[in-house]
Amino acid sequence: MRGLNIVLGALGAATGEICKNCIGLEGAKTKVGKMVKKLGMDLETTSICCEKTKADFKARIDSFSKAAEELKVAEECECQKTAGSCKIGEGCFVNAAVDLMKLIQ
Amino acid sequence: MAKARCGRILGQDIYIEEGDTATLYFINNLRAYQVVLAALKALDQDICHDGCSLPSTVNKVIKRLGKLKNDLEASDVSAEKKESLFSKIDTFLADANGLPQDTSKTCRKSAGECIIGSGCFAAGALGLIDITEPKSPKI
Repeated sequence: MRGLNIVLGALGAATGEICKNCIGLEGAKTKVGKMVKKLGMDLETTSICCEKTKADFKARIDSFSKAAEELKVAEECECQKTAGSCKIGEGCFVNAAVDLMKLIQ
Repeated sequence: MAKARCGRILGQDIYIEEGDTATLYFINNLRAYQVVLAALKALDQDICHDGCSLPSTVNKVIKRLGKLKNDLEASDVSAEKKESLFSKIDTFLADANGLPQDTSKTCRKSAGECIIGSGCFAAGALGLIDITEPKSPKI
């Protein structure tokens, strides 16, 4: 959840960028949505003895799910590098943002 | 010369002339800071708020934005474009200045609270800047 918080923050900023029209952000949105869903399912099956803690976690995960759904992506997306708009080089802000999840061990 | 869109910073579409790599360097850096600062603001809601890595990263961002501003000043970017980019740097500097900068606090790992492993979200967020190209032009 700590990772998702920062990733969603970064992706939220990217929606205000040309990334809004990019398949990179569209893919990241799908990926993060799946991460949140899996986290919710893992929470369901896990044995957290304190019901309140579990309920708190579930509420947080639900809010992340909502935040992921609300990421504004254009209906018709195209890689903005291919479109000639994104000239940052080989890297990609949204992919790098999602990769922040890999910091978690 | 034809202009093409190469980013949207703080809600404003940014256009550039083909081959103007000096201006592109500043634009791409600002595109990155836009994302990095959003990530750092999210971190400020986390336990990182009470640690030393977030403030240390914020201080680095402030320092780098200051350098970016100086480099922009010394560059041959057009005056009109400079003005527009200066105001964006100032907005980001104000955002960064609103984040924690006191590095005297204890790292949340040392305090036993941050248990994500050897990585660090704040340092990772700062790394987003390093993916931008072109690298610093000769100014």
